[in-house]
Amino acid sequence: MPHFAVSAVGVDRPGIVSAVTGALVNQGCNLEDTSMSILRGHFAMMLLVAGPDGLGAEALEAALAHTAGDFDLVLAVRQIDDSVPVPLQGETWTVSVYGADQPGIVHRVTELLAAAGANVIDLTTRVIGEADRPLYAMLLDVTLPPGTESADLRGRLDVLAVDLGVDCSMHPADADVL
Amino acid sequence: MAIRPVLALPAPVLKQVAQPVGRIDDAARALAADLVDTMRASPACVGLAAPQIGVPLRAFAMDITGHKKAVSCHGEVVLFDPEVLLAHGPDVGREGCMSVPDFTGDVTRATRIVIRGFDADGRDRVIQADAFEARAVQHELDHLDGLLFLDRVSSPHSVFRRKTYR
Repeated sequence: MPHFAVSAVGVDRPGIVSAVTGALVNQGCNLEDTSMSILRGHFAMMLLVAGPDGLGAEALEAALAHTAGDFDLVLAVRQIDDSVPVPLQGETWTVSVYGADQPGIVHRVTELLAAAGANVIDLTTRVIGEADRPLYAMLLDVTLPPGTESADLRGRLDVLAVDLGVDCSMHPADADVL
Repeated sequence: MAIRPVLALPAPVLKQVAQPVGRIDDAARALAADLVDTMRASPACVGLAAPQIGVPLRAFAMDITGHKKAVSCHGEVVLFDPEVLLAHGPDVGREGCMSVPDFTGDVTRATRIVIRGFDADGRDRVIQADAFEARAVQHELDHLDGLLFLDRVSSPHSVFRRKTYR
């Protein structure tokens, strides 16, 4: 069964999800993992879908073109690997970073995390606050490789936060099985 | 006195409101033993409600002994027909559930709770729990009302695919 990554972005308005998923259902596709959210007034969709055998990415994109046109969506379809990669094991931590907006916050924080072997599993950023004093907020969940000294990592993040002029904190986010 | 299979979604019993146990008889004591045995069979499991083993009755087992987030700890507890007397102090924590494989979610729970119910000898028992034990109690009580943590997540964004326990 072929799998596709379908992405679509357009100015938010009611009916986008219904229209795009309706067109996918008409092509025999089944939605699997998806993420959809409003980003700066634009509705952004990232859908991983399974399609019927024989369906190709170009044909699926063509079949969605009418809906994309109706809603002024920038839409793209790519075929992806059928297999599901095994997630990395380790402790999950949540990292919060916020401060005056400036280019490079995400890059420098994730560069530090990557150097520690941390794997980002979820990341959201928002520009909030007044237009003349924008505040940047980033929340990310990371998996730390076994044996990571979280206190060391926290120390390095604190040093970077001072350099960037932002506030940064991290706390364990492992779930308890009840 | 047996380890029973733990049911997972979409088992309908997980979404039913469980019935009162009423009289604590041999059948109730057998249910208590099964809950404890099944809970003990999974090292990461600190609580188990009767609907999770397919029994639509208001009973649960819990033991948070040794958990790093524990403050109050009543050891091994089995309670029948539990009811909440008092709950306050909301706090957010991430929960997983043996009946909801592959997901975890951030759930707001009271940090202090007082409940009463009957133990396996039919005696009235009042338990005052806080911190992690309070969270465990509320998670199990929800099972008795057909509620899963998925019904309580604080935002859609707070449901995460979890690592494999066991």
